[in-house]
Amino acid sequence: MAVAERPEVAMQLNLRPVISFHGVSKVYPTGTVALRDVELAVLQGDFCFLVGASGAGKSTLVRLLIREEVASTGRIFVDGQEITRMARRRLPKLRRKFGIVFQDYKLLSKRTVAQNVAFALQVTRPGQRHLREKVEEVLWIVGLEDKVDKYPDELSGGEQQRVAIARALVHRPRIFVADEPTGNLDPDTSWGIVQLLLQINHRGTTVLMATHNREVVDLVRRRVIAIEGGRVIRDEAQGSYLRPGEATL
Amino acid sequence: MRRILAALWFSIKSAGQNFRRNLGVSLAGVFTMGLILFLVGGALLFTHSVNSILQAQQANASKIKIYLSDSASLASIADFQTRLQHDPRVISVSFESKDQAAKEASQDPDIQQALSTLGSNPLPASLNLDIKQLTDLARFDQMAKSTPIADKTTATDYNPDVINKLHTVINIIEVVGGVIALILFVISLVIIMNTIRTAVYARRTEIEIMKLVGATDWFVRWPFILEGIIGGVLAAVFSGGVVFAGYHVFVQAAQRSLLSLPFDGSYTVTLLILLVVGGVCVGALGSYMGVRRFLSV
Ligand SMILES: Nc1ncnc2c1ncn2[C@@H]1O[C@H](COP(=O)(O)OP(=O)(O)OP(=O)(O)O)[C@@H](O)[C@H]1O
Ligand SMILES: [Mg+2]
Repeated sequence: MAVAERPEVAMQLNLRPVISFHGVSKVYPTGTVALRDVELAVLQGDFCFLVGASGAGKSTLVRLLIREEVASTGRIFVDGQEITRMARRRLPKLRRKFGIVFQDYKLLSKRTVAQNVAFALQVTRPGQRHLREKVEEVLWIVGLEDKVDKYPDELSGGEQQRVAIARALVHRPRIFVADEPTGNLDPDTSWGIVQLLLQINHRGTTVLMATHNREVVDLVRRRVIAIEGGRVIRDEAQGSYLRPGEATL
Repeated sequence: MRRILAALWFSIKSAGQNFRRNLGVSLAGVFTMGLILFLVGGALLFTHSVNSILQAQQANASKIKIYLSDSASLASIADFQTRLQHDPRVISVSFESKDQAAKEASQDPDIQQALSTLGSNPLPASLNLDIKQLTDLARFDQMAKSTPIADKTTATDYNPDVINKLHTVINIIEVVGGVIALILFVISLVIIMNTIRTAVYARRTEIEIMKLVGATDWFVRWPFILEGIIGGVLAAVFSGGVVFAGYHVFVQAAQRSLLSLPFDGSYTVTLLILLVVGGVCVGALGSYMGVRRFLSV
């Protein structure tokens, strides 16, 4: 476990789970059971990989976290608050705790790169000072400083992905959740992004990253939560993409 | 305070941007709204004009002559006149003597002939009343009939037929005008809501994304509502212009055909304010309802 490597951090943070799932299942209206009886606790400052084959339920788990979807059974706590029965008007506050990179990016097609990133700041903290500087800084971090005034349609898939990452980072969220943030990136850029996430994790941000990127998971050696058919089948502190001896997922 | 101002500024900016980006749909919305405001404004002005013509007629019609018996004493006539003058339903009362009646009547050559053949003056003296309300005429007719000083055979010149007809016409026009305005209002709300919903539908993903990033309902809603208000004001100004140009032409045509229809400036201003307020309300309300179903993310 990430904090386990740094006991002094764990002490400071009191080992309070930021996210916990208790017996959570999700059945979509179509009848598909996407998650079954999930038990999970993510501590403040953790760095977790979420791995599993396509259709395993990773994105569903992310959607439940921000109440984009509601769990069918079970309870989910974020920051000590039960969210499955949270009133609709309190959702904005819940969502602002997160920085989320959606698998399909969810960029506003009619706004420029800078406006897309600035948007997350305007939503979370209207009246933010030095908006432009903050946006440019984060775009520089993801290596898009020369695409500031482009529209999403004018960017490559990987560039769009990096805009999504910048938008999720710009308001310095407590919890960073990324659904396949490196799916469209070359190995070098992917590695750069992962380094960046390790860095923000080092500063105390909880990071949850769903990924198919085997090299990254095996190199970083952090907590790995493996999902198969909607069930958590493995949860290891310093795991690898595959269980030793396992050929495929 | 800074936050509120910033949020407001953000709303205004996005409203403006959205308006320009979706110019086609926006203009379609403004056009529909303008068209309906034009119809509402036109209907109201038309009703108002017809009403003011009829009211002028009504003013003429609300006159009644109470014929006085030749045997009535001057004192009792004066007494009756004072009583009428103090009646709140009466605008004015004037006394017309037998001679004056004869002089008035003799403007018609036939009657003059008849009068001079008779030698004596058969025309009665009268009290000429100007009444505020057409509907009160019948009461004054009744009152005259029960007064001893009034002429026994014909107490007044009251003719219920003409009065009733005029009254019916005025009532019908008021009701029809009201019904038309109401129907137009309902139609406009439905059309505008659907126009806005179409406009919003094109932006549903945008709304969804905003909500998922943590925007509140009002943060998403404000730009749309402002946009609706801008559209409403534009529509009101354009339709107002057209309605008043039309009104001007109508008044001139009416005056050429000798109908007593003055250009009613104060009503014009009231109506313009009404159109703007209506446009703002319908635009804001339509946006509010149009956005609502897409906010449930
Ligand atoms: N909106 C939906 N309605 C119905 N079924 C859905 C919906 N979204 C996902 N599913 C189903 O739920 C299951 C889990 O989907 P999910 O998107 O969570 O998988 P995933 O692990 O993210 O896959 P991938 O790695 O391909 O992104 C799949 O069987 C999928 O078909
Ligand atoms: Mg997925």
